[in-house]
Amino acid sequence: MQGTANPEIKAKILAYLETVEKAKSKEIAQAIGEKKADVDLGVKELALEDKVEYLYITTTFVALKGKVGKPN
Amino acid sequence: MTEKKTPQLDELEKGPWPSFVSEIKRAAVKSEAAKDLLNLLERSYEDKKGHWKHGGIVGVKGYGGGVIGRYTDLPGEFPHVAEFHTMRLNQPSGWFYTTDKLRQICDIWEKHGSGLTNFHGSTGDIILLGTKTEHLQPAFDEYSDAGFDLGGSGSDLRTPSCCVGPGRCEHACYDTLDMCYDITNEFQDELHRPMWPYKFKIKMSGCANDCVASIARADCSVIGTWRDTLTIDQDAIKAYAAEGLDIQGMVCDKCPTRALKYDAAKQELHVIPEDCSRCMHCINVLPKAVQPGQEKGATILLGGKSTIVQSAFLAWVIVPFMKMEAPYTEFKDLMRRIWEWWDENGKTRERVGELIYRVGMGRFLREVGLAPVPQMVFRPRANPYVFWPQDEIVK
Repeated sequence: MQGTANPEIKAKILAYLETVEKAKSKEIAQAIGEKKADVDLGVKELALEDKVEYLYITTTFVALKGKVGKPN
Repeated sequence: MTEKKTPQLDELEKGPWPSFVSEIKRAAVKSEAAKDLLNLLERSYEDKKGHWKHGGIVGVKGYGGGVIGRYTDLPGEFPHVAEFHTMRLNQPSGWFYTTDKLRQICDIWEKHGSGLTNFHGSTGDIILLGTKTEHLQPAFDEYSDAGFDLGGSGSDLRTPSCCVGPGRCEHACYDTLDMCYDITNEFQDELHRPMWPYKFKIKMSGCANDCVASIARADCSVIGTWRDTLTIDQDAIKAYAAEGLDIQGMVCDKCPTRALKYDAAKQELHVIPEDCSRCMHCINVLPKAVQPGQEKGATILLGGKSTIVQSAFLAWVIVPFMKMEAPYTEFKDLMRRIWEWWDENGKTRERVGELIYRVGMGRFLREVGLAPVPQMVFRPRANPYVFWPQDEIVK
């Protein structure tokens, strides 16, 4: 992952994550019609900005910060 | 000491071996979490079921791995382990530490966690057992100031690990310590930002003795080897014979490919280079007489793993020989091609070996740009492992 993420892609990632509880990066890329590598870069920056977080629930997902609670 | 009785755990303190129960009891003197852990485990033995669940939070700010959320399903009864998260620290190559550094690691963990550790986890990390969510970031900050970083967890590149290599082993065919350090630094994003279908492990062994068991435990194994042929010192062979070693029985007859011939009259050992599989057996038995060849590098294998979607796999050879010298460009390029293919084609929780098993080695090789070679199969002429596509067959 090199360079800076496209702000438009970051906005699309956040908008998509508003509509779901959690998603894999690949699913986000398919849903917003962007390249997976660009989504990975966007997610990385959004995590550093504390807007999204990674969750491990049998595999790793991405979710909006604080959207998913502790496992039941 | 604990207030509740733990009769079943106490049984596990008997005998001559170190006991994990004794260690948890020692930690329980200072840590309420360790005390609850002990009592929770006794409760699990009574109930014959585990009382743990995991998942959820996985990191500190900006990280997607390195923390594994752990919770008990009996938080009311055992409040000090209601949250009992694991942290993984990226170990140094070959697990070399000073005693000062180990004390520093432990002091930070006694401050922020239960004081219990595993040295080391099966991937190789320093495992720090049991902390609360509010301590994750402060603990990470202190470890970071001490020169440590989190290891991998979740669907990312797991912390690369290697054998002690040239640090204290004469058999190392490449510098495992340098390579492990180099690729750990190169693949920081892959290590800390999970982006793949599932986990991916790289382990480096300096020779086919494979002291980190990479062939069974890593998605990508880098095992030291040589391209030319064994170096044999015939004077040293004579010395072994004079000491009474049964060279025919202990070396030649146990060679898996029968590539060694021993002339008992002359007390000379000879290798048939094209039959040698470079397994290290003769070198292990005759270390003063037999050495690896001069042109050293590594074999790259792919697909080893424990049971997940499919059963356990041992890794397959995908590159019989690659020079392993800094900056490891050829290896890094290969890794990136494999990850891209796996990310594109893999299902969620499907390891790269399982994907190859599902779609076929032929397709993997074509799409990643690797040539099929005889070293990929055990008996090339008996096992049609790589199939030609119909459109490439000249009829």
